[in-house]
Amino acid sequence: VLNRRCVEAAVMTGLALNCSINKKSLFDRKHYFYADLPAGYQITQQRVPIAVNGSLSYSLCIDNKMSQMVTKTVRIKQIQLEQDSGKSLHDDTRSQTLVDLNRAGVGLMEVVMEPDMCCGEEAAAAVRELQLILQTLGSSQAVMAEGQLRVDANVSVHHPGEPYGVRTEVKNINSVRFLAKAVDYEIQRQIEELERGGTILNETRAFDSKLGCTVPMRDKEGKQDYRFMPEPNLPPLILYDAKSLPANLNHQQVVNIDWIHERLPDLPSVKRGKLVERYGILPEHSFTLLNEDGLTEFFENVVKQTQMKPKKVIGWILNELLSYLRQHSLTVKESPVSSFLLADLLNLLEKKEISSTAAKQVLAELWKGEGKTPLEIVTEKKLELIQDQKELEQICQAVIDGQENE
Amino acid sequence: QVSAALREGRVTPTELCQRCLSLIKSTKFLNAYITVAEETALKQAGESEKRYRRGQPLGVLDGIPIAVKDNFNTAGIETTCASNMLKGYISPYNATVVQKLLDQGAVLLGKTNLDEFAMGSGSTDGVFGPVRNPWSYSRQFKEKSVPKSHSEDEDSNWVITGGSSGGSAAAVSSFTCFAALGSDTGGSTRNPAAHCGVVGLKPTYGLISRHGLIPLVNSMDVPGILTRCVDDAAVLLGSLAGHDPKDSTTIQDNFKPFELPDLTDISKLSIGIPKEYHAPGLSSEILALWSKASDLFKNAGAKVIEVSLPHTRYSIVCYHVLCTAEVASNMARFDGLEYGHRSDTNKSTESMYAATRREGFNDVVRGRILSGNYFLLKQNYENYFVKAQKVRRLIANDFVKVFGSGVDVLLTPTTLSDAVPYMEFIKEDNRTRSAQDDILTQAANMAGLPAVNVPSGLSERGLPIGLQFIGQSFQEKQLLTVAKWFEKQVKFPMIQLEVKRHDHGAFQHQKSASFS
Repeated sequence: VLNRRCVEAAVMTGLALNCSINKKSLFDRKHYFYADLPAGYQITQQRVPIAVNGSLSYSLCIDNKMSQMVTKTVRIKQIQLEQDSGKSLHDDTRSQTLVDLNRAGVGLMEVVMEPDMCCGEEAAAAVRELQLILQTLGSSQAVMAEGQLRVDANVSVHHPGEPYGVRTEVKNINSVRFLAKAVDYEIQRQIEELERGGTILNETRAFDSKLGCTVPMRDKEGKQDYRFMPEPNLPPLILYDAKSLPANLNHQQVVNIDWIHERLPDLPSVKRGKLVERYGILPEHSFTLLNEDGLTEFFENVVKQTQMKPKKVIGWILNELLSYLRQHSLTVKESPVSSFLLADLLNLLEKKEISSTAAKQVLAELWKGEGKTPLEIVTEKKLELIQDQKELEQICQAVIDGQENE
Repeated sequence: QVSAALREGRVTPTELCQRCLSLIKSTKFLNAYITVAEETALKQAGESEKRYRRGQPLGVLDGIPIAVKDNFNTAGIETTCASNMLKGYISPYNATVVQKLLDQGAVLLGKTNLDEFAMGSGSTDGVFGPVRNPWSYSRQFKEKSVPKSHSEDEDSNWVITGGSSGGSAAAVSSFTCFAALGSDTGGSTRNPAAHCGVVGLKPTYGLISRHGLIPLVNSMDVPGILTRCVDDAAVLLGSLAGHDPKDSTTIQDNFKPFELPDLTDISKLSIGIPKEYHAPGLSSEILALWSKASDLFKNAGAKVIEVSLPHTRYSIVCYHVLCTAEVASNMARFDGLEYGHRSDTNKSTESMYAATRREGFNDVVRGRILSGNYFLLKQNYENYFVKAQKVRRLIANDFVKVFGSGVDVLLTPTTLSDAVPYMEFIKEDNRTRSAQDDILTQAANMAGLPAVNVPSGLSERGLPIGLQFIGQSFQEKQLLTVAKWFEKQVKFPMIQLEVKRHDHGAFQHQKSASFS
């Protein structure tokens, strides 16, 4: 039985990726025998998938500097709905395999991209953007480490002007970072192999994250004939839009593409644009804000609570807060410094009660999370900026006098 | 009748249940039942009795003993499909149709025998052995059979029930239950109904849920209803039909159970006689009976016309391609890992699969799986599977055209001949037999149309012959109304079973035969 929520998620994702949604899509059975496939076949959409011909735009920094960003696009070939298989856990020491069937039958959405990317960095950026989109839509939480987003990379090399080479499929990639590594390794491997005069086999390889290389996988299937057959238990999936929706059909029974379209949340690219416009920050800043879970919210909260201009606040967020979090592997949510505290501190700076050097010292104290307010720390450490001219003169004089005594 | 008796307290559900159970024991040689659920049946009967005493029966079916073909899942009761693959398998859930019957208070007596995985037309190819047609033991048959020489076993000339729902048909025919569930993919309910002299209804595809029916051909299977009279079939239909969210191929429309009117004036009726159903091999007896039937309608004022379904002769081949393809797919799940039989081999997963499937399936099943996979291979898919689908569309269109031209119901024979003796039947292999026997019934499966077998007369050998009515999609009410009229005209004789009863004396068959 088809899960409605899966269909909606697929439509949302298709719309977000600029795809044409197929108002009629079909389900098929893909047959093969494997321990984690209890029915002996997987239900998928081989003939007519639910969405086709979309595009995904993502941004890349050139030269590793955050200052120059380029926008690239990768075409989306299709999105299809299919079933998950179970999970096989191979216990090589005991020569046995344990099969966990709990996730068998769960709905999956497969997004197929065209080979428009040319290196690990591009692949990683594209996937990162896809993750953000999926998370924004609510289609998936897309955490690779937990298998919520699984990425298989198809890599091939060719000389410019020549047709595409033989591709290999790389699996077992568990993070966006590893994706970039795996792709780059495989590109290198294939180039070296070809330059040696060898050939590339159309095979499946696994990425070994410890060694940072790809290895051929156990030959699961070879050249298999999946004996595709239409799934007789699932009638064709019919989707409607406002125009084609028949009047007598119950709204609960159907999926209306236009209805979903109207309710799409702001996609990351739109969100970023808005941040730049509203706060006057740089585009690359907006990327960082969105890339870190919860950071945008934090930033906006600080801005609300301080008189400091957003353009200045962003520096504190990205340079101070973020680097501290990264150093200690903390998420924004786990930050010992709340937006309230930071705003408080920035206010002191803005009012010129402390210098920026002093502010950094206060921040260092705040990280300890001892519950003191910025003002308390300033007072304690005597970090106040002295405004009184006379007092300054006295201090300077004291120092000079001190020097003379030596 | 028996339902009224229950309501009036003339008989109690427990008594009814016990009588049926003891009759099952007396007729054990028929081999109609694979599993008899004596304890649970008596318990259900007991609960039904309580309800009747309170004056609150759940409905017409409350307390009525029924049997279910062993390819329907029944919670807590073994479900085998007459195969080694599922021997000992106890299902964790009830098929939707089974659940519906239980919810109405019906008493589930047991699971009936069939051809392995419902593949066959004799109910002879299951691992629990063949089912014997109760009519083999009827006075009608015995009177007409040629006396054998002394040395031969008196028992050796028994005839088959037809298949694949032979157990269910035999159970209904021998009075061990009041109704039974079968399944119909190519005629598997109507064929044994004809041979056993009972009513066999194949409903429109999509009317009754298939959830829990172990699938053979998903696009053609339907649960079948076997009863002793047409009214009973309508009652069962009423309690089973309707949308099931667990089966996406059931239609959404609301179903309203109906009672069959007693037709008196059939002058507005148009009966079609498809000429292609005068198939080669059709016995002269059946041909004569068919003719007599059509005259019966004509003389009563109905319009009887000859029609043509030109693609009929391709339907068997088409059926074989599509059926085996789906079978190959549906049988893929039996790998011995999760449930059912598992071979002892532990060299590798592949060898375990191979051994399990070789040991678990009989030749018929394995043969169909191999054919089906062949047709689904990439290089063959277009030429076989897709072509067969196209022909299927043509066959369905034949019917649409004929019904569109004003014909209400089609009248055809159900089988080519009366029941064949077992010894003769097994001389040909399953595939040949199926190809021959399915010819009159399976076009209805291809087109998804409702069809019903009505026992119409006895052959020269004293065995039942049935005739088939094919109706329009979802027009079961019209179909059964016509069938009921015909049944009344024909007055098919009751079987005179000669069986030694388990507890006392020769069997009295005069008790009420129907429950409506």
